Amino acid sequence: MSIPKLEFPPFHLPPEAEALRGEVREFLKKTLPAVKTEDRFASWNTRSSDFSRALGKRGWIGITWPKQYGGSERSFLDRYVVTEELLGNGAPAGAHWVADRQSGPLLLRFGSEEQRQAILPKITAGECYFSIGMSEPDSGSDLASVRTRAEPLPGGFRVNGTKVWTSGAHHNHYCITLVRTSGQHGDRHKGLSQLLVDLKTPGVTIRPIINLAGRHDWNEVTFSDCFIPEECLIGNEGDGWLQVTSELAFERSGPERFMQNFHVLRELVRVLGRQPAGRAASILGRIVARLWTLRQMSVAVAGMMQGGKSPAIEAALVKDLGTIYQQDLPEIARVLAESDATTEDDMADFLDVAQYATMMAPSYTIQGGTTQVLRGIVARGLGLR
Amino acid sequence: MDHDTREMLLDTAGRFFAERCGKEIVNGVEKGAWPGDFWTEIEEMGLPLTAVPEDKGGVGGTLADLMAVLRLAGANAVPVPLAETALANLLIAAAGGTPASGPATIVLGNLSVDNGRLSGKVDRVPFASVADRFVAVANSGGKFVVSVVDKANAKVKAAPSHAGEPYGTVAFDKAACAFSGVSTVSAERALELAALARAMQMAGAADKVLATTVEYSKQRVQFGRSISTFQAIQHMLAELASCVAATIASAEAASRDADEGGLADGGSFSIAAAKTQASDFAQRICGISHQSMGAMGFTHEHVLHHYTRRLWVWRRDFGSESFWGEKIGAAVAKAGPQALWPSLTSSKYAA
Repeated sequence: MSIPKLEFPPFHLPPEAEALRGEVREFLKKTLPAVKTEDRFASWNTRSSDFSRALGKRGWIGITWPKQYGGSERSFLDRYVVTEELLGNGAPAGAHWVADRQSGPLLLRFGSEEQRQAILPKITAGECYFSIGMSEPDSGSDLASVRTRAEPLPGGFRVNGTKVWTSGAHHNHYCITLVRTSGQHGDRHKGLSQLLVDLKTPGVTIRPIINLAGRHDWNEVTFSDCFIPEECLIGNEGDGWLQVTSELAFERSGPERFMQNFHVLRELVRVLGRQPAGRAASILGRIVARLWTLRQMSVAVAGMMQGGKSPAIEAALVKDLGTIYQQDLPEIARVLAESDATTEDDMADFLDVAQYATMMAPSYTIQGGTTQVLRGIVARGLGLR
Repeated sequence: MDHDTREMLLDTAGRFFAERCGKEIVNGVEKGAWPGDFWTEIEEMGLPLTAVPEDKGGVGGTLADLMAVLRLAGANAVPVPLAETALANLLIAAAGGTPASGPATIVLGNLSVDNGRLSGKVDRVPFASVADRFVAVANSGGKFVVSVVDKANAKVKAAPSHAGEPYGTVAFDKAACAFSGVSTVSAERALELAALARAMQMAGAADKVLATTVEYSKQRVQFGRSISTFQAIQHMLAELASCVAATIASAEAASRDADEGGLADGGSFSIAAAKTQASDFAQRICGISHQSMGAMGFTHEHVLHHYTRRLWVWRRDFGSESFWGEKIGAAVAKAGPQALWPSLTSSKYAA
């Protein structure tokens, strides 16, 4: 009896990555701006272009990219350390996050030389920000059903359609947009392409979509007879599906899938005080053990990626476990604090934190692939479909 | 042990367990039969001496080598005290002694040594009723003393575990020791090593539960198709796979940290976290598996219970998730909120 193995071999971050960790901590100690409590929950959704520029100056955005595009040619593991330190310290890294994580790597891999030269140095400088143009009103988990159409014209494309849940489009410079360039709606994976869209292009309209917590992160982005020059096609016409799937692997594997609300855990430690009762300590320790395990698994995935593997199934599995943990955390923390917080002052502060985290929690298991989509991927990995 | 030697050892041990440790042996132990031949073969392979240095008559493997063997033992529900004897032998060697053959077990708890004699009583000692001797670690006058007591000098009250293994209460009343030596391994550390061993056995058992359940779901046909093609089942098995992967990943990381950090105190935090995780996930693993396998998996006839019942019992062995969780939680709280992140990234109680 044998089934495909899903192993996460223990992996050590190398000494140079650990040395970099020290530098990043030192940098954050000096530069971390005062961030509002509610913004600390989502360090990668909280924007500060000043902070992004300062990080860019250190060479820590696009850290793995070639030097000719402003990168530092460091390892994927160095990038892992920078990323987790930003999250662990609640840094406002939201402005450049998507560009660093997936848009830049996508351009590096599939973009034209002109696109790389024009865009990548600005990303690494912390000055150029990206949105993800995938979902549509009728295309969520079923991404291959996108309807936004880019009709080929002499010298470019005429784009019509609507993207939704487009985080940061009201601030960002570009949106890498998945469109149908040929064939019919029912053709699924065939005939899709990705366009590098300047969000200032005439015909692009950006409207806010406010989330249930009252935040304006999302937007609806509408394209009405919008002309996109042909040099903005990323990769080959018709390769959009292949490209978008490689992008999703970057989107799913990172520590942001279990570190997004780390602030809640740190606040919980604060309100429980230095000597919690045994039962409270035990519950706290069980959460910490769970987070430690997720980190071990995530580092193992990073090690596989550095080793040239494509651990798409393992990444999906860690995102599934990680986002469920993030959903459990505010609830466990709330109940525990109700019974074991040490002072009233601490408690009031903490309840704000927990309340906000509770409201944000539903998003964790939806964005970047729902629990159900991820479990489908893992099931395929088990040979069940 | 170099990489190739280790792979060979694991390959041999894995095949040996799979071939020899059939359900007759596991069910037999539950009925009180001691599988003497099976134990002798295990000793002939040198498995209880895996982590004992060669100059003490051992195989000269590392702690991680032993833990890898124990994961395989867990994956085959090996119903003899391999983990306990191997740890006992390791402790004896660390205290300057030379291990003898025969099944042994470790006794960890409230014990005292006075004038070379051991006293105290410990519940839920694994394989207490089949062990030839008991190996205890007691902290005595600032020193850590390893004592070996023959079964003739101990009082054992049998209390089989719910997995049908011969656990029991062991009492010593100024018991004479066949061997006694000062060790670098404290009583607390011995408990950590035992917890690591159980976490690795749980990783193995969890892996087997997953394999068994996936296999069954592919073969079991209902409504005209194998149940593995139903999305409801696929999602359950995906969750099961995640819980199993996490159990294995944390145990393996702890094994590495313990090995690299040294026998006296390596990987303390990682071990605590791994045993907490293994114990915490066990119920979900057993629950999903049994739900997927229906009535068939609930029978005594099927082997699934060899693994699920052990997982349930092993949660409590050598510290439950409550015990180790409290240890982690107390340390994290004491170190305060700012130390939390550095502690996590360095796998330490307090960085």
